Amino acid sequence: MDASQLIDDRPAAGVFRVHRSAFTDPRVFELEMARIFEATWVFVALEAELPQRHDFLTRQIGRQPVLLTRDGAGTLRGFLNSCRHKGTLLCPFRAGNRQFHTCAYHGWVYDSAGRNVGITDQASGHYPPAFAQESHDLVPLARLDSYRGFVFASLSGDVPSLDEHLGEARTLLDLIADQAPDGLEYIPGEASYTFDGNWKLQFENGLDAYHFATTHAAFVDIVRQRPRAAAAGPAPGPIVSGTVSAAHGHAMSWSVGAPGQGRESRPLVRDAALLEAVRQRVGEARLDWMLRQRNLTIFPNLQIIDIQSLQLRTWQPLAVDRTRMSSRCLAPRGESPQARRFRIRQYEEFFNAGGLATSDDNVMYALSQDGLAAHAAGDMHGYARGMAAPPSAADTFAPLALGEARCNASSAGLAFGDETAIHPGYREWRRLMLRI
Amino acid sequence: MPDPTATAIAADLLHRECRYLDTRDWAAWLELYAPNAVYWVPAWRDEYTQTSDPDTEISQIYHDSRSGLVERVMRVQSGKSVTTQPLPRTTHFVSNIEGTWEADGAIGAHACWMVQVHDPRTERQHGNFGRYELRLGETNAGWVIARKIVRLQNDRVPALIDFYTL
Repeated sequence: MDASQLIDDRPAAGVFRVHRSAFTDPRVFELEMARIFEATWVFVALEAELPQRHDFLTRQIGRQPVLLTRDGAGTLRGFLNSCRHKGTLLCPFRAGNRQFHTCAYHGWVYDSAGRNVGITDQASGHYPPAFAQESHDLVPLARLDSYRGFVFASLSGDVPSLDEHLGEARTLLDLIADQAPDGLEYIPGEASYTFDGNWKLQFENGLDAYHFATTHAAFVDIVRQRPRAAAAGPAPGPIVSGTVSAAHGHAMSWSVGAPGQGRESRPLVRDAALLEAVRQRVGEARLDWMLRQRNLTIFPNLQIIDIQSLQLRTWQPLAVDRTRMSSRCLAPRGESPQARRFRIRQYEEFFNAGGLATSDDNVMYALSQDGLAAHAAGDMHGYARGMAAPPSAADTFAPLALGEARCNASSAGLAFGDETAIHPGYREWRRLMLRI
Repeated sequence: MPDPTATAIAADLLHRECRYLDTRDWAAWLELYAPNAVYWVPAWRDEYTQTSDPDTEISQIYHDSRSGLVERVMRVQSGKSVTTQPLPRTTHFVSNIEGTWEADGAIGAHACWMVQVHDPRTERQHGNFGRYELRLGETNAGWVIARKIVRLQNDRVPALIDFYTL
């Protein structure tokens, strides 16, 4: 199985194809775990989840359990959640505050900076001299860093700096972080769900404006029949949509002007004081971008959806055909109660598995996974839209000051359904899969 | 101490709800709810505590009027939601019902519930379970649900969760 054969990327010929076995072959999955999730920067947490000294939380990176802490000096730390004695999962809780973590098995103790501070009955253990020469501290994650409060980690040290890895996607993250002068926080309450499909189905879907009208037709109908929507009337200006494709796999799809997706549907607009504070800080042009519908993907495991509410979702691949999703609602600290309440209702309506839309994506992934098993059917044709898009009008992208990213815009609006924003992720996928 | 009459009234309503959901009699199911009924499925904050304020914390589902339930039925009936193509087969179980009289003549009730869900397309089955907390009010047409809190214990949702799998 040669991973390099799975992506056929020939832009001059107008060809981009992903072989089905990328979604169905367990050997591909194992390589993805080892060479992507466990070998590059992945999103793990918000800084805001660890506000106090000795706060901790546990997460998964690829197949490996990790423990994140804020140590006694206030420094963010990350370790493999595995006791140095026999490898037992050290911390079984999802989050909390502990100055010391004691392994339940034989009682070894670690502090919140990961230092081993106790080996049960060490003096009576007749350890060989070599034992004392070794460090028994928790093994730190090779890399841990954050950008604007978004925490990323890598199990491999063979990665560029986080700033370099994120590249121009930092500007796209800024469009979220700058909505929160006092910082972003998670609204309490998590929704986790699974779908019976490969993680890349979720990765693609977040950059797939093309599916919305069909997959979410029932949702669109419901919204349209509401009295408020019927009274709102047609949108004032043109509908424009497009994508931004950046380096290292990151990309964003966006739109503006579609009916029902105007400024009044955005939680930020419901807090006039906050909106004005943001406008003062970033200016009208950047604010305009913040109020566009945006779906951002940070390869390989993070999506931030800023549409009728602000969702942060991340995924944990469990198997080639099974994925666990974690979904949170992001919000600016200090938001007004009415804006907060609106943000929550808007989020629940669409994003949770219990909402009116997300389960349709989940079931679609299962249908996709089942259909992808038809290997005799050959290649898919799902990556071509937008490949012949003409150079975009520079004006609309000027406020983002992106130099290298490929930016597409089309006044065909939601009918554009650009699929090229999916390409960067697969190029990065291929680079990492072939890296020894 | 549960009151036998209040418990009987709550049991009748809950048994009918199970039957309407399993036989997909959506219209009858909606009629069980008062027009301004609250339907609330809190989320979990951590291993032990659920979210308790729907205006400042996330819920799996929160509706403060029956119109939210009407929209869910609309989605099921539209035929356009792939989640419902096909609809799963469900059987709801409710037990351990405890009903008490409130000071204003309403009934407060607690119960346990479980639903088994079978997807005919994938031939896979999953079960959800938890507890209900209800407030029932009496109308000219009989007792209706003024508030239902669904406490879902197993909240790692397999793709879909909706009123007919809770």
